[in-house]
Amino acid sequence: MKKIHLIGMIMIGIAIYLITTAGTEVATYANFESARQTDQPVKIVGTLVKDKAIVYDEMKDPNYLSFYMVDDNGEERKVILGKGKPNDFELSESIVLTGKMKGDDFFASEMLLKCPSKYTDEEIQLKSQEG
Amino acid sequence: MNEIQYIGEHLLPGQIGRLTIVLGFVASFLAAVAYFFAEQKKETAEAHGWLKIGRWSYIIHGLSVFVTIGCMFFVMYHRMYEYQYAQAHVSDDLEMRYILSAFWEGQEGSFLLWMFWHVILGWILIRVSKSWEAPVMAPLALIQFFIGSMILGVYIGELKIGANPLLLLRDVMDLPVFAQADYAALLNGNGLNPLLQNYWMTIHPPTLFLGFASTAVPFCFAIAGLWTGRHRDMLQVSFPWALFSASILGIGILMGGAWAYEALTFGGYWAWDPVENASLVPWLILVAGIHTHLVAKTTGYSIKSTYLFYLLTFFFIIYSTFLTRSGILGDTSVHAFTEMGLENQLLIFTLFFLIFPLTVFFLKGKTIPVIAKEEATGSKEFWMFIGALVLLFSAGLITASTSLPVYNKIRELFDPAFEGFVIQDQVAHHNKYQLWIGVFVGLLSGGTQYLRFKEPNFSNHTKKFLTHLGIAGIISLGLTFLMGQWIQVRAWQYQLLLFTGIFSVITNLDYLVSFAKGNLKLAGSIISHVGFGLMIVGILASGLNKEFISTDPFTQRGLLNDEMLKENVILFKNRPANMNGYQITYKQDTLVDRLRHYDINFKKLTKNGQVAEDFTVRPTAQFDNQLTKVAAYNPDTQHYLDKDIFTLIRTLPLKEADVNERKRLEDSLNFRIIEFPIGAIGSFTDSLQTEDSLFISTFDVTIEELIRNASHPDYDPKPKDIAMGLKMKIQERGKPEVYDATPVILLRNNLVFAYPIQINDLAIKIKLPSEFLNKIFETEIELDFKKFLMQKGQSINYNGYQITLDNIDLVDPLSQNTTNKNYFAQKGDVAARAKISVRKNGLPVPQVVEPIFLIRGNQPFPINDKLISEGLHFQFSNINRETGKMTINIAQTDTDVNYPIEIATNSLRTDYIVFSAIIFPGINFLWTGTIMMMLGLAFSWIRRRQELYRSK
Repeated sequence: MKKIHLIGMIMIGIAIYLITTAGTEVATYANFESARQTDQPVKIVGTLVKDKAIVYDEMKDPNYLSFYMVDDNGEERKVILGKGKPNDFELSESIVLTGKMKGDDFFASEMLLKCPSKYTDEEIQLKSQEG
Repeated sequence: MNEIQYIGEHLLPGQIGRLTIVLGFVASFLAAVAYFFAEQKKETAEAHGWLKIGRWSYIIHGLSVFVTIGCMFFVMYHRMYEYQYAQAHVSDDLEMRYILSAFWEGQEGSFLLWMFWHVILGWILIRVSKSWEAPVMAPLALIQFFIGSMILGVYIGELKIGANPLLLLRDVMDLPVFAQADYAALLNGNGLNPLLQNYWMTIHPPTLFLGFASTAVPFCFAIAGLWTGRHRDMLQVSFPWALFSASILGIGILMGGAWAYEALTFGGYWAWDPVENASLVPWLILVAGIHTHLVAKTTGYSIKSTYLFYLLTFFFIIYSTFLTRSGILGDTSVHAFTEMGLENQLLIFTLFFLIFPLTVFFLKGKTIPVIAKEEATGSKEFWMFIGALVLLFSAGLITASTSLPVYNKIRELFDPAFEGFVIQDQVAHHNKYQLWIGVFVGLLSGGTQYLRFKEPNFSNHTKKFLTHLGIAGIISLGLTFLMGQWIQVRAWQYQLLLFTGIFSVITNLDYLVSFAKGNLKLAGSIISHVGFGLMIVGILASGLNKEFISTDPFTQRGLLNDEMLKENVILFKNRPANMNGYQITYKQDTLVDRLRHYDINFKKLTKNGQVAEDFTVRPTAQFDNQLTKVAAYNPDTQHYLDKDIFTLIRTLPLKEADVNERKRLEDSLNFRIIEFPIGAIGSFTDSLQTEDSLFISTFDVTIEELIRNASHPDYDPKPKDIAMGLKMKIQERGKPEVYDATPVILLRNNLVFAYPIQINDLAIKIKLPSEFLNKIFETEIELDFKKFLMQKGQSINYNGYQITLDNIDLVDPLSQNTTNKNYFAQKGDVAARAKISVRKNGLPVPQVVEPIFLIRGNQPFPINDKLISEGLHFQFSNINRETGKMTINIAQTDTDVNYPIEIATNSLRTDYIVFSAIIFPGINFLWTGTIMMMLGLAFSWIRRRQELYRSK
C-alpha cells in the first residue's frame, strides 16, 4: 500500500470521527420545555409577543432587554437578553435565541432576527399625487 | 375586452433587451455546439468552418450580453419604473453613483455581471489560446448557456425557466394602478437597500464575480485537457490562469471580509456564515489545485489530482450559487439573496456541473500519464501533495457543515415531520476544526520549502534540511513565547497554532535568504506563505484579545448571567465618561445627506496625566430613503499599527431614531403657555408622581432679550426669513445650574415653523407659540408714530428723550454695514440710513438706531429700527430733496410686553447615544498577511505568464 493511500485513509478516518462526534454541536431547535431539561446553551426559535411589554431602558441599563416570546409549542416565556436592543426589533418575523432557562425566564446570550425583507415587498410606491 | 392603451411607457429598450437575452442564449448554445464539432472534427476539412461559426457565435453572444446590460442600465438610469427591475432597484432619490450597486443588487443583474466576465475572459481566450480555442471555448459557451437560462424568463408548460430582468411591471404584478393609462408616471421605485449604499457594494461584487468567472478557465482547460489528451501542454498553458483566478477570487473574498469588518455591524471580519463559506471552499480547492499543478508541471506526479481539483473548484462555485440563491439556507445565513422561485432550475444547473465533469474524467482519465513509482518521502512533491490534501480536507469539513440545510431538506423529502438540525455555535464549531488545518498548513508550508523536487538522494540533503528546520524552529519558539506575552495566548492549542504561524514566516524568510537567494522565480510562493503565517498571528491576536472598552463598571449589577459581557454604554453629550483607561466624550452630531455623524472623542492619559492618545471617531446612523427612521448604524474605526479601535452606535434615543415615534412622544407632551415680560422672573411648578413619592420641582425663567435674526442649531437661514428668538435663562429652584435657552420661531413664505429647545438635564422642552409672532406684529402695527422733520445734526425732544440725527448715508449692499437687523440687502437696493443717537436724562443710551429708507424697484419701503430697552420705535419715511429734511417718525410702546412661551416638562432626553467600542489588537497582521497571500499569487501569475510567452 502506498503512503498516500495510508494518509488518505487516515484523513477519511478522522473526518468520519469528527462528523460523528460533532453531534453535540448540532441539534434541532429546542423549545422552552426542552431547554428546561438541560444545562447546556440551546437554540430556540420563536416569535415576539408584540402586545406584551418590551422593556429596554437605556438610561437604566443599556445592556438589558426583556420581552416575551412564544416558541413553536406555543409556550410563552419572558426572555432576558444581556445586550442592547437591535434596530427594527419590533418588526421581526421570527427570533433565534441562544441561551439557557433560569427559573421561569430564558436568559439569552445571542439573538438573531429574521426581518421581512423590506425592499422586495409587494407594495409598490406611488409618487405623491400633489404638486 | 377593451385593452387599455397605456401612455408614457417606453417599450423599446425592453423589446431590444428581451430580444438580446434570447439571442445571447441561442448564440451561446450555437457556440458550444460549433466549438464541439470544431474539436471533434479537427482532422477534417470541416473543422475550420466549425471553428469560425463557434467564434462568431461567441462574439455575438458577448455583444448580446452587452446590449442586454446596456438596456437594463438605460431603463434604470432613466428611472423607467414601468420595468420591474428598475422599479425594484432604483428610486427617484437614489444617487446615480449607486446605479452600479443597484444593478447587481438583484439576482438577475448579478447573473449578468457573472456572464459579463465570462464574455471578457472568453474573448481573451479566443485571441490567445490558438489550438486550445475550440476545446476550451466549448465548455465555456456551455456554462454561458446555463447561466443565460437563468435570465431567460420563459415558461415551458408550468415550468418557469429563468427570471427576465426586462419585464414590464404590469406583466409580473397585478395592481390597481394599472387601470390608469398613465400609470407609468405615477410609479416610484423601491430604491437600493440603505445598507448597500456604500463603496464596498460598488467594488466587492465585480471583483468577486470576476473571481467566480475566472475559475471557469482552469475548469475549461481541465475539460479540454481530458478531451484532447494533451495533458502536458494543458498543464503549461493553464497555469497562469489558475494563479490569476486564485488571486482575484482571494481578493474578492478578502474584500467581503474587509466590508464586514469596516462597514457592517457584525463586529468582525469572518463569521463562518454559509455565504462566506460558500466562496471560501472553491478558493481552498483551487489553491490545492495550484500546488498539485506545480508538482505535475515539475515532476509529472499528481496530474490526476490537479484535474480533479480544477473540476471540483468550478463545481463548488456553482454549488455556492445554488446555496446562496435558492433560498435553501433559510435563516442560517444573514446575507443570502432573496428567492426567485428558480430552485429546481438551480438544482439542475448544479447537478449538471457535478455529473458532466466527473463523466468526462472517468471516460478520459485513463489517458493521464501516471508514474508507477511512488513519490520519495523526502521529496517536495510528496509533502506538497499532502498539503493539497489538507486543504481539500478543510474544504470538505466546511462544506459538510455548510450543507446541513441541504441535508435537512433531503431528510424532509422522505419524512415531512423531520425537524431540521442547526449548528449551535457556528463560529466555535468551525474554529475548532480549522485550527488544526491551520497548524498543518503552517508546518507544511514552512518545512516543505526546504525540500527538493524529484529528490534523488535525501540522505545527502538531510543534514542541511534538519539544520535549517531546527534553527527556524528554535527562533519560532522564542518568538512564540514573546508574542504569547503580548497577545496572552493561554490554551495550548492556540499556542501551537501561533507557533506554526510564526514558523511559516521564519522558514519562508530563511528559505528566501539561504536557498532562493533572492531568486524572483520563487518570490510569489514565499510572499504567499509568509502572508499565511502573518494571517494566523493576526487571527489569534485580534480574535483572542478582542476587548470591549465600553464596559461601564456601574452597570454591572449582577442582574444577568455573569458570563455575559456588557458591551454597551450610554454616553451623554459633552459629558466625558471614563472607561478602561479611556476618557470618552460624545461631542456633537451633524446630519449630512442621510447620515448623522457623531463625533466621539477618545483620550488616553498616562499616569503623569499626559495625553497618550487623542482621537475622534465618527460612527454614523444611516437613515432610510425617506429620512424617517434609522436604517442602520455604521461603525468607525481608529487604526493604529498595533491595534484597531472599532466603534459603533447601538441605539439612539427613540425620538432621534424614528420620526413617527418623535411625533407620538411630542404629541403626548403636556405644553402649557406662560407669559412673561422681558426682564421679569417667572416661575412654574411641576409634580412627578413615582411609585413611592411625589416630587415637586419649581423652575424659574428669566426672559433676557428678544432676538431678531435668531439662530438655532436646526435652522438654516434663507433671505427674507423672519426668525425671532427669545433668549432666556432657566434654573431649577435649589439647584446651582443655570441653563441658557433661545427657542426660535420662523416666518417663511407665510408659514410658521417652531424651533424648540430641549434642556436635557431638566427634561424640559421650550418653544415659542405662533401667538408669539402675533404679539410682536401687533405691537408694531398699533404704533402711534409722531412725525418729525429733521436735518443732519439736529436734535429734538420726545417724551423726555433727546434724539439726535447724527448722520445720513447709504448702506453698502455688499457688506450690509448696518445695525438694523430688519434689513436684508438685495441687488439694486438704494438704502438710505439715518444714524440716530438717544440721550435719556442727559446720559447717552448705548445703542444706536438706524432706521432705513429703502428704494427697491422704484418703491419706497421704510424699514423700522427699535431701541428695545426703551421701547422706542423709529421710522425713516421720506427725504425731501428740496429742503434737505428727513421725515423721522418716532413712537414709544410699553416695554413690558408679555411674551408667551410654551413649556413642557418630562420631555425625554435626546442628548445621548448607546455606544460600543472594541479593541482589536494586531488586526494589521491579518490584513497584511491576507493581502500578501493574494499578492504572492498575483506575482506568480505575472511571472508564469511571462515564462509561458517566452517559451513560445
